[in-house]
Amino acid sequence: MMQPKLTSKVRATDREIGEVSKVIVDPLSHEISHIVVSMNGSGERQVSMAFVQSVTDGLVELRAAAGDILELPPFKRDDYVTTHEVEIAHLEDRVHVTPGEVLVPFPELEKSVKRRTFFMNFTHVIGFLIGLPIAFPVLRYLMKPMYSPFDNGWLKIGNVSKIKQDDIGFQFKYKRKVKEAYMPESEIEKNVWVLKVTPAVMDKVYQGKDMEFKDALGKTVWTNKKDFPYVAFSGKCPHLGCGYKWRQHKVLGQVFLCPCHLSIYDASGKVLDGPAPRALDALPIKVSATGEVEIIDMEFKAGTKSQIRII
Amino acid sequence: MQQTPSSPAGLTALEKVIAFVDERVGLKTLQAKMLNEPVPGGSRWAYVFGSILLFIFIMQAITGILLMFYYVPTADHAFASTQYIIHEVDYGWFLLSYHFWGSTAMVVCVFAHMSQVFLWGAYKSPRELIWLVGLALFGIVMGFGFTGYLLPWDQRAYWATTVGVEIMDKTPLLGDFMARFLKGGAIPGQMTLSRFFVIHVMVLPAALMGLAGLHIFLFRAAGPAGPFRGTPEEIKAKTDYFFPRQIWKDIVGMIAVFFTICALAFWEPVVLLEEATPDPGDYHPEPEWYFLFLFQLLRLKMFGGEFGQFLGAIALPGAFMALMAALPFIDKDPERNIFKRPIALIGWIVVMAMILLFTVAAIINREFLD
Repeated sequence: MMQPKLTSKVRATDREIGEVSKVIVDPLSHEISHIVVSMNGSGERQVSMAFVQSVTDGLVELRAAAGDILELPPFKRDDYVTTHEVEIAHLEDRVHVTPGEVLVPFPELEKSVKRRTFFMNFTHVIGFLIGLPIAFPVLRYLMKPMYSPFDNGWLKIGNVSKIKQDDIGFQFKYKRKVKEAYMPESEIEKNVWVLKVTPAVMDKVYQGKDMEFKDALGKTVWTNKKDFPYVAFSGKCPHLGCGYKWRQHKVLGQVFLCPCHLSIYDASGKVLDGPAPRALDALPIKVSATGEVEIIDMEFKAGTKSQIRII
Repeated sequence: MQQTPSSPAGLTALEKVIAFVDERVGLKTLQAKMLNEPVPGGSRWAYVFGSILLFIFIMQAITGILLMFYYVPTADHAFASTQYIIHEVDYGWFLLSYHFWGSTAMVVCVFAHMSQVFLWGAYKSPRELIWLVGLALFGIVMGFGFTGYLLPWDQRAYWATTVGVEIMDKTPLLGDFMARFLKGGAIPGQMTLSRFFVIHVMVLPAALMGLAGLHIFLFRAAGPAGPFRGTPEEIKAKTDYFFPRQIWKDIVGMIAVFFTICALAFWEPVVLLEEATPDPGDYHPEPEWYFLFLFQLLRLKMFGGEFGQFLGAIALPGAFMALMAALPFIDKDPERNIFKRPIALIGWIVVMAMILLFTVAAIINREFLD
């Protein structure tokens, strides 16, 4: 692209007619489209780059005669804005019209400074020296409540006399006291499903083996005996943690159904349909001589094939 | 734009103040630079979404700050303080409902904005970085929706968070850490509420402001892409500045969005369910409507089981976002006309149709649950 410089002399085919006073740029193509020629006292004319024959140092030569240029209409300044008043990306990379560079002297003190790269790198080192020692404390600070020991305490949830039928899901609602960090002790509502099971369902639940429950260290805290006729299932769906219900299903009969992602389980907790990865989670249960049910309120991670205890 | 020098004596007091500031700051040049950006091919209604998003964000910030005057982010007071805002504080119901519907409008406009950029091929060179920062902003908007949803501490809030965090838990290696980090423990509680609150009102707004600033800076550095067809002469002939025609269109878009949000807040104000507790009672947990398609997707048998769940909840959305991020680097063809980019057009239609299909399926499924 030709780059006519400001203040360059402009010569028509017959004679010199003035100098470049302005340069007009196309805002989309970033090309110089016109020059404005100050006509030695007879006003300004806007001359298309199509008229420009050549641009050399300090001189713009046109293809037209001086008379033709003079006949062009006068330049209308109000039709334009300066490039300082408009946002055109990368314009300065494309157009070089300034008559010369504007310079500022390098400060005297700066001239004697050696090893600039060293000083630049040194500032980065300082940054690391500030950042590194606080990274670990910050991480520990944020991680404080993330891991806590399991609670293996027994909770009374109700009396089995409420269960009138075998192999039917019966929901026991109970309140659990929680004391979280600085908060006052409060109660949250939870629920488990308890069934009085017939031997057939009992077999499906226990599969002939006693069910052991362990603490964080792997020590057994309780064993559900394989011939014990009561089963308690955690109220949390092993798919993604919603609460499921005991429902009548058109085809499958009475089942546990989770309304979230439609996982379906039978009375023994086995998955009948839907996306659940494992059977319902049986909890440690004991029933006193008077029929009082107690459980250990464990929770397991949802969405995994194996049981991973989280509280 | 041309500044005409006039004698100081002829200026009013206000003009003197403006002149004083302008002399020191260069306000007029700055204003001129902001408004005088050539829009290739001229202003269009299709370009309004970016400005509208900025407007919605500002309104969310204002209503959000106002809500914090009464809201208390603790497990024992969050629900009560939200109820107080709705039932006791003058116009509290309106501000809360505006904030709620504003978030929905945000998601809708983000989808519209991204679709426009995608269909116009405006993510292509040299605008790759604008697209990438835009994707990060999309993530932040989703983060706002997710964290804000918990704050009223009702059953809807509790269960959306419970399931949402369980989904995050399925991320390989980091999942358990991320889920516990967000929950501040093994199960949702006070720590979860504190964390979601600080993320919602401090972390995400700061991130959004920074990234939105970068987004606009990069946009200005590259310049608007303009229409995807037309010769350079045609485009040049229709070119105008950002002000006034495009700004006018943007403003009309903003007022339309504003009144729509107001109308929704008025006719469908926020109503809380029971206070949050790990027993859902009769409530059927469901996420906000714009997550319904993902929710329905996870009901499919093929996304069941441990691996299927990872596939549906993590791998599929992750791969989609990775594809979006890689898009400007894969699609190097400079052709921007959507009617000459069949794969892009079909891809967009398929994605939109799938989202619509799964959302409708989720809504139909509701009836069978009651």
